[in-house]
Amino acid sequence: MAVIEAEELRRTYRTTTGALRRRTLDVEAVRGVTFAVERGELYGLLGPNGAGKTTIIKVLVTLLLPTAGSARVLGHDVVRDVREVRRRVGFVFGGERGLYERLSGLDNLRYFAELYGVPAREQGRRIAELLDLVGLSGRERERVEGYSRGMRQRLHIARGLMHDPEVLFLDEPTLGLDPVGARELRQTVAGLTEAGKTLLLTTHYMFEADALCDRIAVLSRGRIVAEGTPRALKERVGGGRVIEVEVFGIGEERVDALRAVGGVRSVAVEERGQVQALVVRTDAGVEVTPALLARLAGTTIGRVSYREPTLEDAYVALVEE
Amino acid sequence: MAAARVFLVGGVISYRALFNWIRPLSYATTMLGIPLFQLLFFAYVGRFAGVRDDAFFVVGNAVQATAMGGLYAMTMTVANERFFGTLAPVLATPANRLALFLGRALPVVLNALAVSAVAFAAGLLLLDFSLPAARVPALAAVVLVTATATTGLGLLLGSLGLRVRDVLFASNLVYFGTLLVCGVNVPLDVLPPWLQAVGRALPLTHGVEAARRVAGGEGLGGVDGLLATEAGIGAAYALVAFALFRVFELEGRRRASLETY
Ligand SMILES: Nc1ncnc2c1ncn2[C@@H]1O[C@H](COP(=O)(O)OP(=O)(O)O)[C@@H](O)[C@H]1O
Ligand SMILES: [Mg+2]
Repeated sequence: MAVIEAEELRRTYRTTTGALRRRTLDVEAVRGVTFAVERGELYGLLGPNGAGKTTIIKVLVTLLLPTAGSARVLGHDVVRDVREVRRRVGFVFGGERGLYERLSGLDNLRYFAELYGVPAREQGRRIAELLDLVGLSGRERERVEGYSRGMRQRLHIARGLMHDPEVLFLDEPTLGLDPVGARELRQTVAGLTEAGKTLLLTTHYMFEADALCDRIAVLSRGRIVAEGTPRALKERVGGGRVIEVEVFGIGEERVDALRAVGGVRSVAVEERGQVQALVVRTDAGVEVTPALLARLAGTTIGRVSYREPTLEDAYVALVEE
Repeated sequence: MAAARVFLVGGVISYRALFNWIRPLSYATTMLGIPLFQLLFFAYVGRFAGVRDDAFFVVGNAVQATAMGGLYAMTMTVANERFFGTLAPVLATPANRLALFLGRALPVVLNALAVSAVAFAAGLLLLDFSLPAARVPALAAVVLVTATATTGLGLLLGSLGLRVRDVLFASNLVYFGTLLVCGVNVPLDVLPPWLQAVGRALPLTHGVEAARRVAGGEGLGGVDGLLATEAGIGAAYALVAFALFRVFELEGRRRASLETY
């Protein structure tokens, strides 16, 4: 039995606008999502902002009712068996908010230890373990209002693990962290799977999903557009190659001319300070470089390099399809 | 067992977390300062107008001072979850909802009792008011019942605050309303019938009357009817408050209206 199962999950938000002439607007945030996560897996929901990632997590942790479809966690229905689900799942929503600012980190954890029914005699040891796990030991008696972004995020994680849940949901856990903090956090997350937990993580960073996840579902406008291991996803758009050409000042019509070259799948222009980089994705086994360079005649060209497609290339291709 | 701890320990932690005026300076100036000046204000206006003696105003305002805790502290201790964005994480726990909700009232009631005691002490020290020590226990019992009832109304305001922004405006309105309609500074029979009716449906009214009688020498046995009514009114507000909290919680899952993180 899968630990997390979603079947044709849908969620629509109804919003009203206008004070006098009220109009209602339905936002279809999640439109029929089906997936299953096995025990011990780290599953990633990858998608741009607004794709519906947070909505899916809210439904799975019982904070939102689905509009249609169903979902089960450890066999418990997220609509009917609310208490059973709540006892067994933890979640971490990214962000500065959601903590009691005036309390110490320790008291924040104590409060949730009570709410999750952690027995009094186990609380001290459990909290100490968690503080250690997230690297907040020694800072736990300070008020949260003085915590940095990273410390808050780590406190969120400690809280999410308070009752030693079998399943943990992490919504954009590294959002807003500095690179060092984000790397430490990814190590913590990786450590959790080693401890046997099942994790579902959302992110819009491709490399993060690539580095952490066993499997990924790419979400776009409320639908899963691809699912598989990071490697399989790369291969889906793979077989191809990526050529990067540095140029100095190039017009849109020239870029269009490049797109017309046989064997070219897509051309993207990235601004990199003084230079622009043309990211040209091509089919495998065709040599397009001479044709590309011929159409760039008259433009100043810098470095030309070749690389294998990354997950990011796969992702951009999928989300733009 | 877990529910008892949510009620007691959880209640105290959430009080410290959510009650804005708990810091010494704001506590002294707001929680104690306002009832103190209110007490002096009405006592001196009363002397100036020559309508009632100091004892009338001391007992009225010192009992009404329980509303500082019962209304304001209680409103904040529920409604501030929205402000901190902590409502979603709290509601995602399996914690017993009744214990979670009512536990927040216990520290508030104790605080209200303390504020009232300070106001009585101020009356004894600064005004022409005296209270034989033998009457203190009975009076304390009356204040306890009244503080609890007022806190029931505070719970209702707190629940409303989970839906309505800036609910403290409503708490202000109710707080100042009680000064007029609950027999605190104006005897009820002076008011038009509709205001009397409002007053009788609010906590404080029966408690203030009971307190005046007990301070005047009557035993608890003589005011048991008043106390029962006061307690009943408080329980009714608390019940409606809890029902509303549950409705908002369930509706929040459907309409995505409770999450503000
Ligand atoms: N409470 C809400 N009310 C109305 N619309 C919402 C609400 N929450 C999310 N949405 C909309 O639903 C869509 C999906 O949002 P979300 O699940 O937060 O996406 P993601 O987490 O992938 O960025 C977005 O278009 C968003 O604007
Ligand atoms: Mg999101």
